[in-house]
Amino acid sequence: MNTIILRQIIRALLVLLLQVLVLKRVGLSNSWLMQNGDIFIYPVIVLLMPFRLSRHYVILIGFVIGLILDMFYDTIGVHAFALTATAYARGLLLAYLEPRGGYQLSMSPTIFSMGLNWVLTFTSFSVAIHTFLYFTAEVFTFVYIGQILLKTVITFGLSMIVVMGYHLLFNPRT
Amino acid sequence: MNNLLQFVIRYSAFLLFLLLEVVALFLVVRYNENQKSIFAHSSSKLAGSLYKIADDAIQYNKLNRTADSLAVQNAELIERIFNLERSLQGLIPADRPLDSCILEPYNIIDAQVISNSINQRNNHFTIDKGRKDGIRTGMGVISPHGIAGIIDQVGEDYATAISILHSAARISASIKRNDYFGSLVWREIDPGRMVLEAIPRQADILVGDTIVTSGFSFIFPKGIFIGTVERFWTEGGSNYYSVEVSLHEDIARLDRVYVVEITDAELNAK
Repeated sequence: MNTIILRQIIRALLVLLLQVLVLKRVGLSNSWLMQNGDIFIYPVIVLLMPFRLSRHYVILIGFVIGLILDMFYDTIGVHAFALTATAYARGLLLAYLEPRGGYQLSMSPTIFSMGLNWVLTFTSFSVAIHTFLYFTAEVFTFVYIGQILLKTVITFGLSMIVVMGYHLLFNPRT
Repeated sequence: MNNLLQFVIRYSAFLLFLLLEVVALFLVVRYNENQKSIFAHSSSKLAGSLYKIADDAIQYNKLNRTADSLAVQNAELIERIFNLERSLQGLIPADRPLDSCILEPYNIIDAQVISNSINQRNNHFTIDKGRKDGIRTGMGVISPHGIAGIIDQVGEDYATAISILHSAARISASIKRNDYFGSLVWREIDPGRMVLEAIPRQADILVGDTIVTSGFSFIFPKGIFIGTVERFWTEGGSNYYSVEVSLHEDIARLDRVYVVEITDAELNAK
């Protein structure tokens, strides 16, 4: 049990470093894609929490990790808002996507335990919710809905690539 | 009472979610209103030092030191130029009010950008100088090829600045040739272009005109080169031109910057 917690913490730290030191820097490139979007890998921290962990903890952890990102992005509250919602939505999604036999509580929602198709569905719903809410909270009005949607679509695409890349590359067990 | 308790228990996850969302939204709104007294910023020790380590790793060490001493010299030179320009202005009072002839030195502090962004709606950058180096909120940050931003949060060793690519940034700028001035804003699309708003229609503007800081605010000295006019138009029956300015500085590549301190005496004189 302790090794599982330790593993989650190490994963969280590494993913956060990757996000703020590498992916944030990629945002400085002058390409059209990066000017109208961003790359987020950090939702994977919340998504990969073990099934057993209570929803309350997941929501709280989501909020805290969001605040940490806000500190590095200087976007006070925006990441926290989006990630808290994603953490809550994760509970609903898990209930909705629950296979007939239920979940193996000691596992996490990984390709190893749930299969590629399931993870793809789960991840795409979560990342879509996260990116849409992120850009909505950033602008804080629906007036710029066109721009919000454009940024959401681009960021969703780029984020899905890195999140699924993480799954395929590291193939985490728990 | 029992029912209420059961309701709370049953929906506790949802209620926790709501509570935290309200807190997050409160932070967003509060932050948008005034940018003061927020604890979590990249000017903080944690974020600042992490950025600093990463930035140091990227910079080649030896080159870094040489550049440092050059930057110090540069800062001194820029300081002298500004002060000389001001004293020249003082020598020719013409139609200027007396208080603009009072000589007050500009202080220039050189700094290194250790984190930056251009693709958000409100962009910020972090510099490796803070309160102990004399950085204060509201100081202007200029870069070798133009202006970069305005200091926002100041930590002990690091400070964050609102980039000129920020939805709330308004910089007083003028057309160098004829001194018509307006405010320079970013329209959140292209990090290489900003729009100079509220230029009166009688102003004659040419594509390629030079845009400089106006010096009407106490953030930037007068006459810093910002960019050139790309095109201009009037917006829906308005009496003002909007002028698209292509920035001379590539904000994405900010590296060495200079923080301009205009001494308090001058602000008080105003």
